[in-house]
Amino acid sequence: MSSSNSIHSSAMKFAVKAWSNGRARAGVLHLDCCPTPIDTPSLLLSTRKGLPLFISPDLLPSLPSPDSHLLHVSPLHFLEGLSMTTISKIGGLHQMLGLHEYGFAAVPRDSIQCLPEANSTNKVGASFETPCGRLLIKPAEYMEMISSLRPELWATLADEVPAWVSDKRNKTSVDRTIKWLDECIALSPTGGAVFGAIVGGSSLEERQRCAQEVARRNVSGHCSFVDMR
Amino acid sequence: MALRFEVLGRFNRARAAHLTLPHFVCETPLFMPVGTQGTIKGLTTNQLEEIGCQIILGNTYHLALRPTSELIDELGGLHKFMNWPRAMLTDSGGFQMVSLLHLADITEKGVTFQSPVDGKPMLLTPEESIQIQNRIGADIIMALDDVVRTIITGPRIEEAMYRTLRWIDRCIAAHKRPHEQNLFGIVQGGLDPVLRDICVRGLVDRNLPGYAIGGLAGGEDKDSFWRVVAQCTAALPEDKPRYVMGVGYPLDIVVCSALGADMYDCVYPTRTARFGTALVPEGLLKLKNRAMSDDTRPIDPACACMVCKNYTRAYIHSLVTKDAMGSQLLSYHNLYYMMQLSRNLHSSIVQGRFPEFVCNFLQKMFPKGDIPEWVCNAMEVAGIDISSCCAPFPSAQD
Repeated sequence: MSSSNSIHSSAMKFAVKAWSNGRARAGVLHLDCCPTPIDTPSLLLSTRKGLPLFISPDLLPSLPSPDSHLLHVSPLHFLEGLSMTTISKIGGLHQMLGLHEYGFAAVPRDSIQCLPEANSTNKVGASFETPCGRLLIKPAEYMEMISSLRPELWATLADEVPAWVSDKRNKTSVDRTIKWLDECIALSPTGGAVFGAIVGGSSLEERQRCAQEVARRNVSGHCSFVDMR
Repeated sequence: MALRFEVLGRFNRARAAHLTLPHFVCETPLFMPVGTQGTIKGLTTNQLEEIGCQIILGNTYHLALRPTSELIDELGGLHKFMNWPRAMLTDSGGFQMVSLLHLADITEKGVTFQSPVDGKPMLLTPEESIQIQNRIGADIIMALDDVVRTIITGPRIEEAMYRTLRWIDRCIAAHKRPHEQNLFGIVQGGLDPVLRDICVRGLVDRNLPGYAIGGLAGGEDKDSFWRVVAQCTAALPEDKPRYVMGVGYPLDIVVCSALGADMYDCVYPTRTARFGTALVPEGLLKLKNRAMSDDTRPIDPACACMVCKNYTRAYIHSLVTKDAMGSQLLSYHNLYYMMQLSRNLHSSIVQGRFPEFVCNFLQKMFPKGDIPEWVCNAMEVAGIDISSCCAPFPSAQD
């Protein structure tokens, strides 16, 4: 994730500490919930329904701290078996998972099971292949999930496409992503830091166009989606 | 002998004791989780220590296959191999062979079977079983017995009982580490009190460090089950530990403890966790149930474990049978429940309030007072008055 020099939102503060000769930079991320600031570049731990896949929550403190305090959460995981009403009733991610000193970054897709299905995405919503079948997620639905889960950071809904799509389809993905960016921002709950999604495939032009549009909105950070296939 | 057994308190037949083993001083009655292949599924050894686990069981059959007892020995024994600092018990391998392998055949020599690895014929003798267990290095090792399920009747049971007695002598002779490992004999004899009595006397004559009651927990009716336990605990020496193998359900453990048993093992708590079932004072809670999907209470409000302190039934419901973490969290809770049960049994006997504990336990599990008859009969023999928890007989409701 990338950002400008210093950003403040109610849950998150970010500042760049140092630059390399090139464009790399070291920064520090402050989250209200985390007792210690987190150095960036930083790796998010992947989770399944909010808990790390490989270690139980009581053993999580045995991992290096604070480096292991940022968790990636996919809101789509919770569509299987837990209603948003129940999650709200419980009080959101921190209450539900018993992880109070950990920061959650919500991004719709994960790297293994909830993958964007570009052929089924349409102007109404983004499609994902998930363990409970193919789901079409509209911005309003997505924002309902974000409001219930209350993560520290969250990415806006994107139309992610693979590198081999036509130029036309690639351009459409940028148009949709910007439209959904605005819809998500309009519905954003108080307290979370918004990360604007940046798509554009391997077209430098489209990437720039998307980034410029996102930069114009009042977001706390950017979330770039890169096709690794 | 490499153990000390010191009774600290009693209530009639029930007793609470300190069992001092080479690796740990245990408090009985106690439940031993089963760590089949050198691990308790779903928990680390740190977590086991945290929940108060005192002894765990390793399966000789599985470990001898993988990674082999020789390798375990080379690496310093099973304690070191799996990083478990407290006490350990290994079974003889006999039960798995009979229960897992369809082509097992029992002769006087031992148990012949087809190796699951390459199909070659193999033979597990009493000598071989003890040698394997000597290499694994557990605090308590079990004699190879001729196990017969209690649902079988006929001369086979008698044959098995006498063979068990012949084999115990071969086990004793083969045991190379009597000052570090305690060899327990196993009482067989099916549901026949005469056979059971002969077996008990034969084993007691050999003056072993401890005794197990075997051949139960295999589907026999509960009335027969408790009577065999009662008979054996009455006949076994007072000053040595008594281990009922394969038990089991919390209710069974409370009854057997009332009758004078000290140690138990079973895969049930962890296995049932993997199917989405939690152990609670009321009995069972099936987390897979739809009703759990919006239940924001903990699994057991009275439980102090990490799972009940942090998670709702709704969240666990979303995990069970779909995500490994569900099995892990439920296994953790279920084992904590069993450890707490063990602690409660020990402390209630030591503190002179065992009958109250039993009544409280039964009241929670049978709030309508419909306590099964076998439990009432067993408690009568144990000398524990549970009339306050039993519903009055219909004839009394005039």
